[in-house]
Amino acid sequence: MTAITESNGLWESMYQGRAAFVRYWAYIGLILGAVGLAVFGGDGYTENGYIFQLVGQDGVMWLGTGALLGAGLAIGASTLRPEMVNGYIPKTMVSWLDGAALMIALMGLLTLLEPTAAQVSYKDQSNLFAGHVIMTMNVLFLFSAICYIAYLFAPESFIGSMATAAAWGGVYAGGSSLLLRWYESYLFLGGEIGHAPVSNIYEVFILLFCIVTIIYLQWEKRYEAKAMGAFVMALVAAGVFFGIWLDSVGQAEIKPLVPALQSYWMKIHVPMNFVGYGSFAVACGAGMAYLTRMWLEARNSNMVRVFPSLEQLDQLAYKSVAVGFPAFTLATILGAAWAAEAWGGYWSWDPKETWALIVWLVYGAYLHVRISHGWHGKTLAWWTVIAFLVTVFCFLGVNMYLSGLHSYGRLS
Amino acid sequence: MPAMSKTTDYLKPILLRLGSMSLAITLLTVLALASVIGTVLLQNQDQADYLQQFGPIWYWVFRSLGLFDMYHTWWFLSLLGFLMLSLSVCLYRNVPRFLKEMRGSKVALSDSAMKHMKHSRHWDLKGQSAENVLSVAKERLKEWRIREEQRGDVSYIRADKGKYHKWGYILVHSAMLVVLTGGWISVQFGFRGNMQVPVGSQESEISFLKSTSVAYKEMPFEVHCNDFSIDFYPNGMPKEFKSNLTIIDHGKEVIKDRDIIVNEPLYYKGVRIYQASFGDGGSNIHLKLLKLDGSGEIDSAEAHVYTSYKDKTNGVTLELTDFRPHNVENMAEIGDPKDFQDLGPSVDFIMRGPGLKPVKIRSFMNAFELNGDNRGSFIQVSFSGDTKDFQSVALGLDMSDPQEWKLLQRFLIHLADDNVKNKQKANMQAFKAAMDDVFGKGKRPDNFQAMAMRVLQAAQVIPRLPWPYIPVLDDYDQKYYTGLQLAKDPGMNVVWTGSALLVMGLCIMLYVSHRKLWLIVRRKGNDLSISFVGLSNRNQLNFEHEFNEILSSMNDDMQQLEKGDAV
Repeated sequence: MTAITESNGLWESMYQGRAAFVRYWAYIGLILGAVGLAVFGGDGYTENGYIFQLVGQDGVMWLGTGALLGAGLAIGASTLRPEMVNGYIPKTMVSWLDGAALMIALMGLLTLLEPTAAQVSYKDQSNLFAGHVIMTMNVLFLFSAICYIAYLFAPESFIGSMATAAAWGGVYAGGSSLLLRWYESYLFLGGEIGHAPVSNIYEVFILLFCIVTIIYLQWEKRYEAKAMGAFVMALVAAGVFFGIWLDSVGQAEIKPLVPALQSYWMKIHVPMNFVGYGSFAVACGAGMAYLTRMWLEARNSNMVRVFPSLEQLDQLAYKSVAVGFPAFTLATILGAAWAAEAWGGYWSWDPKETWALIVWLVYGAYLHVRISHGWHGKTLAWWTVIAFLVTVFCFLGVNMYLSGLHSYGRLS
Repeated sequence: MPAMSKTTDYLKPILLRLGSMSLAITLLTVLALASVIGTVLLQNQDQADYLQQFGPIWYWVFRSLGLFDMYHTWWFLSLLGFLMLSLSVCLYRNVPRFLKEMRGSKVALSDSAMKHMKHSRHWDLKGQSAENVLSVAKERLKEWRIREEQRGDVSYIRADKGKYHKWGYILVHSAMLVVLTGGWISVQFGFRGNMQVPVGSQESEISFLKSTSVAYKEMPFEVHCNDFSIDFYPNGMPKEFKSNLTIIDHGKEVIKDRDIIVNEPLYYKGVRIYQASFGDGGSNIHLKLLKLDGSGEIDSAEAHVYTSYKDKTNGVTLELTDFRPHNVENMAEIGDPKDFQDLGPSVDFIMRGPGLKPVKIRSFMNAFELNGDNRGSFIQVSFSGDTKDFQSVALGLDMSDPQEWKLLQRFLIHLADDNVKNKQKANMQAFKAAMDDVFGKGKRPDNFQAMAMRVLQAAQVIPRLPWPYIPVLDDYDQKYYTGLQLAKDPGMNVVWTGSALLVMGLCIMLYVSHRKLWLIVRRKGNDLSISFVGLSNRNQLNFEHEFNEILSSMNDDMQQLEKGDAV
């Protein structure tokens, strides 16, 4: 056995059996500890107060105790009943939780590179470090897109692995840059304007890139659909250019939240919505790959070999919609719940709401024709592409061209 | 009864049509397209704006289609009604069938059905008992829901997973009905409107838009506003709007001194009270009237916002329309980092009078400062009366300083007296004389150079103003009104219930696939012919994987049986 296979074996064993099981329950304990701190720690929950508690001594106490209890119980339980460790949920969830923990750790390291408090000012935010991390993310995503496209022409496994690695790198850079922005928002104006990094179009764009890439990478891992990456990552790359433009016109600044956005609903509603948008983008990528493969087949091109089969691409587009549709539905409902609390009614026919409904109807119709009418193939591939254009109008066009209650997402 | 059967004969094709998928898709598409119109065409605006925007013909066409309040027109509501009808028929037609299918389905599988299975595998075993094979297979399929049947020489095992997935369909479609019903209840039995309560007074009536006109509704209680305050971020952006309210029901204070902010409403008698906006609640304003008749006199005027001050001597009226304690503006050059500054309090008024063109003026209390220099007062002027058309006029003089006003007057008088040809010299002499008049001979204040600049600039502007005087904000006693939104929504909980069902149903519908496996064992003398087939209604990629996994272990089992090992 060589060293490499041995370390691979170690790596795999981390995600199986007892190691995964105990770690999973440690994470669950950690999360329960965080919830416990919110409910019982300190006198009354306030968002800023909670965040400072979390990174302070109280946080170490509660989270540490939670994690240790969770791990301890898991060790005990797995000793008594060894077959428990083979559960499906711990094995699948633990890699996601590891990823999240890694992202937070990365952000923690990056805070060490921040300028000192005296050097930070609200008026000139150019020396904040998150900007560099975002630029790294941009570069990685663009490089990944180039590699995926190159892979179509030269399907070498080396190029393919580089593409995947760059995409993962981009996800971690993007995710930790957002967390870093969260931290940075507490650095000036006496920490008064601190807020979650989902408050303006620039931040949600970064979130969108990460979500699109993560969903795509899941499909790649499970169904070996690498050729699809060229299309999905091309969409992300287009978004990256838009993000760079946003930055150049001053949209990247951290700004205080207007009173309407000061609500915990923002942290739930916005990311959930972008899970929806992100999956629809992946569906669009699959649809484009489908159409391209058809076009290549008609010309008897050799490149067809790189592509997954038409049926697989069709399935992947459907799968993406199947992830996005319930998420988008839930996000719209959460939005309605927030509206009921902030604006006095769960539905006001505001342009953003109405366009969300339109998107919902378009994908609802897609599911109808697919599930009940049994439509497949080319028409539905076109459908995913056009429906994504409608989606883009919903999350971008509405803010740019139509006025309404969501005008804080506006480009000013 | 023949008549009865006749009506059902008529009804049946209609029901078929109503519950059909094509109609459902058509409805979804039409609804989507109609909704687009309402977002492109701004809803519930002023009729005059529409007329100006579209011209008389299109205005008339749009108006008769109700496009200015589209989401409440009869045709849009009937579209929604039609959707509900279609949903109901669809459920009525399919639910009994689904329930029946879920309750019981055949265990045995016909040969022709078997041929159509995409996933299948076949073995022949010699000298094995069928019972042995069946028990081995059952052990393999223990996580599945198993049923058995024996038909002559053939034994069937049917294994199911995700059998209840049809509940997803039922839940989603009934949830849509529940949500739409909730919406109907909200519209029918709820209300939503606004009220403006000045600090220190109370209000019990809300106003709201009914199609395109304003309607009013009396609340069963009174809202008293004790206080309203705004918190600002250090950079001048508003951070929090807070009202302190007392609810009075039949003369009794039922809720006392409760704070509400945006996102945290108050709840009383089924009505939610939201912080929605704010504005001036009739502040008391003191104005200085700097007379332009050359006398240099300063009169004063006092009035509340939303009332008028009438000057009986010359027939001029000042109608006060708004007061703002803060005017935060971005003072940076375009492209530079933003630099917000508070320009201080301002008052808006319309000046009318005999021989005067009516004009809207915004007058600021403080002089304008740039980089620490006093650049004098300025006012904003709009002849259209629209605040969008405000144009800034720099007066030059710092109007908050009465001595500067005196200085200007003396300067103008001396300038008129002098007949020195050299303009610069004349200015110089007149200013010196004016200084002597105001501050005493030879005495000069510290900043007199800057003052000279301002006076010179003012001398160019102020004598040309066409008004009898310049009204300048002198003092104020501020009073806000708080803008509240009151809403009662009895359908809300119905909508939430429907929403929860919808999400649950979607998850079942999209993530639970109904997978079926059959193991068919035929006895042929001493030999066994075994078939293993499978079918899934969705997620074929995963099912293929799952089927192959079971198949390979099943294959191992069969080979071991064949070798004669005990399993």
